[in-house]
Amino acid sequence: MRSVFPAARPLLLGALLLFGACATRPPASDPEAVAEFEQTNDPLEPSNRTMFDVHEAIDRAVLEPVARAYRAVLPQPVRDGVRNALGNLRTPVILLNDLLQGQTERARTTLARFMVNSTIGLAGFIDVAERWGTPGHNEDFGQTLAVWGLGEGPYLFVPVLGPSNPRDLFGFGVDIVASPFTWIGQGVAVDAANWTRVGLTVLDTREALLDPIQDVRNTSLDPYATLRSAYRQRRAFEIQNRDGQAGRTDPAGGPGFGQGVTTPGATPPGR
Amino acid sequence: MPGMNRRLLLTGLAGAGSLAAFRAARAEMDLARATAFIQAAGQELVAAINDPRMDTPARRARVGAVLRRTVDIEGTGRFILGRYARAAAPPEMQEYLRLFDEIIVRNLSARFGEYRGVTFALGRSQQRTEEDALVNTIIQRPNAAPFALDWRVSEIAGQPKVVDVIAEGTSLRLTTRSEYAAVIQRNGGQVSALLAAMRNQIQQLAARERG
Repeated sequence: MRSVFPAARPLLLGALLLFGACATRPPASDPEAVAEFEQTNDPLEPSNRTMFDVHEAIDRAVLEPVARAYRAVLPQPVRDGVRNALGNLRTPVILLNDLLQGQTERARTTLARFMVNSTIGLAGFIDVAERWGTPGHNEDFGQTLAVWGLGEGPYLFVPVLGPSNPRDLFGFGVDIVASPFTWIGQGVAVDAANWTRVGLTVLDTREALLDPIQDVRNTSLDPYATLRSAYRQRRAFEIQNRDGQAGRTDPAGGPGFGQGVTTPGATPPGR
Repeated sequence: MPGMNRRLLLTGLAGAGSLAAFRAARAEMDLARATAFIQAAGQELVAAINDPRMDTPARRARVGAVLRRTVDIEGTGRFILGRYARAAAPPEMQEYLRLFDEIIVRNLSARFGEYRGVTFALGRSQQRTEEDALVNTIIQRPNAAPFALDWRVSEIAGQPKVVDVIAEGTSLRLTTRSEYAAVIQRNGGQVSALLAAMRNQIQQLAARERG
């Protein structure tokens, strides 16, 4: 190993130390504690908390100030347009996951919205379909796997991406591969367009979460635990397709990571 | 391992048994009554928040009075403390409920500025669950997008009371329970650590209200 890749051993050790930090399972003599431990489903809590601290540092230094500047500089209609356009670009992935879940009615809606918004809606900037009474919804492969019966696995906190779990992370990867925009074309211009799209998606998602996350930071005794609980509940809600019943859906449809995590009293993402 | 299995089974049965007893103690909640209750309580709160004549301490006192009357603070507080409720000594429990009461009021009073001019309306769907009613409302603040809030209403001692607030699928009492349990666990299972954190939180909220 040494001759092929000298850094392999220390890297492996580092990875083991970082990701191998497991929470201590309570003794079997305390069944209530064991039940709580299993219900919380966070055996990697020490390393997750480290990742959370890393994320908070990156967020406060970079993501949040840029998102606030984005909010301050661009007026609401422009930001709405960006969100709508990004959501429109996600349509192939949403459609695929609708079909994989056997939701033909929702698939029809997705397709109709794509056709109307891409043309009349000026490449998706205007959500014409919603005005005509057909609001959008979000789907991702993580939700599809859940519908197929795959359990979520242990809670994971990933810096920048936010709260997640192995199933949803894998689904995120599959969605990237499944999106036609990953594969279409080559060359500098296409690469630039793709990276712009990634950057805008991060920015749009963070801007939508400015108020909920500020709220959690202000009022929570343990933001890590609050986000973990809120994310899991929200995810279950999304998987059951109960989101959007208030009549207002987030059209951009992020990959499900933390987007839509709301606390009562804070402005949720959306129009 | 038969010993462990039996213990787990007994724990499960005990848990289910106490849950059933808990459920039986609550009467069924009538949906129309719950909806009317939320309508009235909401209007009282909105009137208190929007009243231009009161200063902040008076407003906080008024809002506190409405919340104490309409929210099942003690029941929800015990639910949130969960299994640590038994570990807490009676004076600790009393202190916890007092602090919990204050946090509920302060959480709202810290946002009075944000909520000035708020209106609310009953949403489209109201649902019945086994023992509660879920009343859907739309909250509209000036210069902000409207958002939906679900109120879980239960019959406590013959009176309808709010036991939970749910926003976009996230239940506030479940999130808070997770939060408080984490604080207690990270401090060696001491409820006193939670009380200290709550006192600290109240101070911060009070400071934000002033500043």
